[in-house]
Amino acid sequence: MHIDWFVFFSQIVNFLILLFLLKKFLYGRIIGAIDARKAKIGALFAEAEQSRQDARTAAEDCERKRQDLEERYEQSLNEARREAETYRERLMEKAREEVDYLKVRWTEALRAERNNFLHELRQLAGRQIYAATRRVLKDLADLNLEERIVEVLLARIASMDENERNKFRGPAREGGTITVTCAFDIPTAAQARLNDTLHRYLSGDMDVTYVRSDDILSGCELRSDGHKISWSMKDYLDTIEERFYSALYEEAQEQRT
Amino acid sequence: MEVVAINQISPDQVILFSWWFVTISATLLYTWLVMGVLVIGSILITGNLSSDPIMTRWQSVLEVLVETIRSEIGDVVKDGVDTYFPFIGTLFLFILFSNLFTFIPGYVAPTSSLTTTSALAIMVFFAVPIYGISKQGILEYLKEYFRPTFIFFPFHVMGEFSRTLALAVRLFGNLMSHEKVIAILLAVTPLLFPVVMQVLGLLIGIIQAYIFAVLTIVYIASATQSHEEAEHKTKEPNSTNR
Repeated sequence: MHIDWFVFFSQIVNFLILLFLLKKFLYGRIIGAIDARKAKIGALFAEAEQSRQDARTAAEDCERKRQDLEERYEQSLNEARREAETYRERLMEKAREEVDYLKVRWTEALRAERNNFLHELRQLAGRQIYAATRRVLKDLADLNLEERIVEVLLARIASMDENERNKFRGPAREGGTITVTCAFDIPTAAQARLNDTLHRYLSGDMDVTYVRSDDILSGCELRSDGHKISWSMKDYLDTIEERFYSALYEEAQEQRT
Repeated sequence: MEVVAINQISPDQVILFSWWFVTISATLLYTWLVMGVLVIGSILITGNLSSDPIMTRWQSVLEVLVETIRSEIGDVVKDGVDTYFPFIGTLFLFILFSNLFTFIPGYVAPTSSLTTTSALAIMVFFAVPIYGISKQGILEYLKEYFRPTFIFFPFHVMGEFSRTLALAVRLFGNLMSHEKVIAILLAVTPLLFPVVMQVLGLLIGIIQAYIFAVLTIVYIASATQSHEEAEHKTKEPNSTNR
């Protein structure tokens, strides 16, 4: 077991050569590759981290935009609701006004129709009562209704007090006329009696005009410058109209209930 | 070349060429073989290294090997791993591959020669003060020999020599004795038993390479770090000595 000094130094040299060669071909390259890989992976990680940050920022941005959109959507929806509510209320108000208008018109139409009906009823009733009264008077007492009406008018003229007569005399003295309006043609004899009576109680030189008018229901009136005396079936017909009106109202109330 | 005979105690005895004082023995031949394999293998593998995450299997093996050695060094020394790495890595790889190639018939590990192990131990013997002085400066390094008192100086010097001797003899003894045991067993029981011993021999070879490298790291670390740290960290792993 001896040491060969040539081999000993040769091994030292061999080792140093091996050290140099491995350092050149193995360690340097391998460590370089490892460091390069570490740097590359580090760069990749940094890039990934950057991408993650970007993605997070983008996600936060998207979330913020989404919330903005949601808020705006809610706002728009609320505005639309408010507008729709306002529009609905306006439409309701308009419909209510139209209904009220139609109701008023309908009420007015109904009232006009009722008035027309009552007017026609009044006319018809007046005529019927007049005709019936005329026949009754003729049949029972052999009297002429028109003559009786003129008689009543004459009696009223005769029974006027002085104050009332002066109301008619004033216009007569100024050249005015007295108009006698009747619902029928006054017979000539009756006209003569009326002339006499008027001339006697009011004024002797006044003109008397005779007019027939259907507006005066079964009666006669004396008119001069806004003053008049008359007799007609108006009071009776007013009573009848009032009764009919009450009957119609009660009927309508019953139908409603 | 003839297989090393039982009466030949060392591959140094197998002289292949001799001229004056130049003698080319089997030790040198097998050393060159190991060197050639290491260098050519390194050149081939590192010829097309990839710095991408995807790499070849050989590159992956080499990187694992290099990183393992670096981490082992890093466990002992605090800093300057790459300063010591080429020296310690080369020691480890050379001893490892010298021992592993014993499965080749006719091959005799150069590390079973006391000349080779002595050369390696002498390099460690010189490397330790070189690294220590370069790290701490010559005065600070020499002060270590007089700590804790100057009385310890001879013991420190004796320690330097004795551990160098221990390095050389430990590696030589393990490898040489194993080869002799294999040779004897081949003569006595030439069946399966020598194969089992051969496998055991590979394990011993790996362990011895590791021990040699680790001890070298520890010696360098003790020389490059402060006295207190060195005392704390340096522990002679006597349990690994055989």
